[in-house]
Amino acid sequence: MMGDTTGLQINIGVAGLVRFMPMHLLLEEGGRVISAGPTLMRVLAGQEVTGARFEDLFEVRAPGSVVLVTDLVQRAGQRFRLVPHHNRRVGLRGLGLRLAGTEMVLLNLSFGIDLIAAVREYALTDADFAATDLAMEMLYLAEANAAVTNELRALNLRLEGARMLAEEEALTDPLTGLRNRRAADLVLERLCASRAAFGVMHLDLDYFKAVNDTLGHAAGDFVLENVGRILREQVRAEDCAARIGGDEFVIILPGRTDAQVLQTIATRIIARVSEPMEFEGSPCKISGSIGIVRSSDLTAPDAAQVLVASDRALYAAKHAGRGQAVLLSGECG
Amino acid sequence: MDALLLRSLQGYVRDTFGHPAWTAICRKADLNFETFEPMLRYDSGMADRVASYAAYTLGRAVDTIWEDMGTYLVTNPGHEGVRRLLRFGGSSFADFLHSLEEMPGRARLAMPDLDLPEFTLNQVSEDCFEIRCRSPIGGMKRVLVGMLTAMADDYGALCLIDGEADGLIKVQILDSAHASGRRFDLTLPERSE
Repeated sequence: MMGDTTGLQINIGVAGLVRFMPMHLLLEEGGRVISAGPTLMRVLAGQEVTGARFEDLFEVRAPGSVVLVTDLVQRAGQRFRLVPHHNRRVGLRGLGLRLAGTEMVLLNLSFGIDLIAAVREYALTDADFAATDLAMEMLYLAEANAAVTNELRALNLRLEGARMLAEEEALTDPLTGLRNRRAADLVLERLCASRAAFGVMHLDLDYFKAVNDTLGHAAGDFVLENVGRILREQVRAEDCAARIGGDEFVIILPGRTDAQVLQTIATRIIARVSEPMEFEGSPCKISGSIGIVRSSDLTAPDAAQVLVASDRALYAAKHAGRGQAVLLSGECG
Repeated sequence: MDALLLRSLQGYVRDTFGHPAWTAICRKADLNFETFEPMLRYDSGMADRVASYAAYTLGRAVDTIWEDMGTYLVTNPGHEGVRRLLRFGGSSFADFLHSLEEMPGRARLAMPDLDLPEFTLNQVSEDCFEIRCRSPIGGMKRVLVGMLTAMADDYGALCLIDGEADGLIKVQILDSAHASGRRFDLTLPERSE
């Protein structure tokens, strides 16, 4: 059946061309258009196509320095790229062939990677493509990909939100809304590692145990919440106020190493904490002692050393009588 | 596939019956969350399990819930992407039915690990089709019935769609151009950002 087909001539006619190659261009050897496929006609809409010269309709982008269709088909083995002169946004690519035994040249074109732009530009439908063309699949894929990417982006945002919330919760003391011990450690580690200057206050409430014992845990919690509110009011946004134990608090103040300033802040906090509070009609009288240390007074401190030093300063404050703030300078450790 | 169905069920119940209904279903199903992520994996069988709790909570047959959800997926403006991807199947409803067999392959292009159900289409006569749907998810056939119903509308075709037979959906196209159908452009209008 399948003998030697090299010499076989096939006549598919212009109607066949239209069906099989809706983007073909049939030219006279001289370069004038005989006919164009219906989809290509949509690309060239608004121009006189039949009889027009190839070089007036298209610019050849590759191969380089080719203008005329005769030069183009001499490189028939290569693919070429064109842009229509009147709409340079949509590129075309294709193959060319001199039709044996005739004085005609046949080009078959396709949109290549500019498919999506072309479909939009010329409002093409699936009827504009040959049934064998993968245009539909490419459009489908582009849209399916965009949908998947959007879903992934949305998922990422939701996960990131959940992560931030979880992180926030992991670093927050739920009762007071202040930072917790872990958060304070992280801040101190970061400041120590970057050798930044900072001040630390270690606050311990006085008479808190008495409130807890006589008025109960609800009163104790009420007092702690109040202290939390006071500390939030007294520190700057860049400071870190943390509850690190039952009635023990740490305030880390980046950039604050002036003894006078630290002393003033501490005194103000003690004054606020010592103001009378009332829980369900019963007065809760507490006060606070504060030990202060500065990074500048420690040589190459780490987080643990800072806390040991601040604890020592706190002990000195308690020793000096309740309701005091004591700054320990000089080497302690 | 369970993840996509669960996410769709969540959207359908919330949009149709309200958030409290969905919360109640999740509680009954003993889930300690109520948001399903379409891109994550859930135990197989979970979609059918949650749907049975939805049926119980909403007092409706589980088949009806899956069918309505299928229709919701195609018609809800929030899921325009689903309708569009389905419309790429063909230029007529019959074309679209023929494209069902290609659907798992198409889906794999975008999501290689999506285990879409396998469809087999048998054209009984010019206007009559039988679709077999093989899926580990019990509700899958009913979802497809709901989607087919909505897609017939989308193409403007008048059809009888019968999903009563076991594992088989019968589709009879009475009039393929009964109504004008919804417009479908191959590309979305360019977004101005």
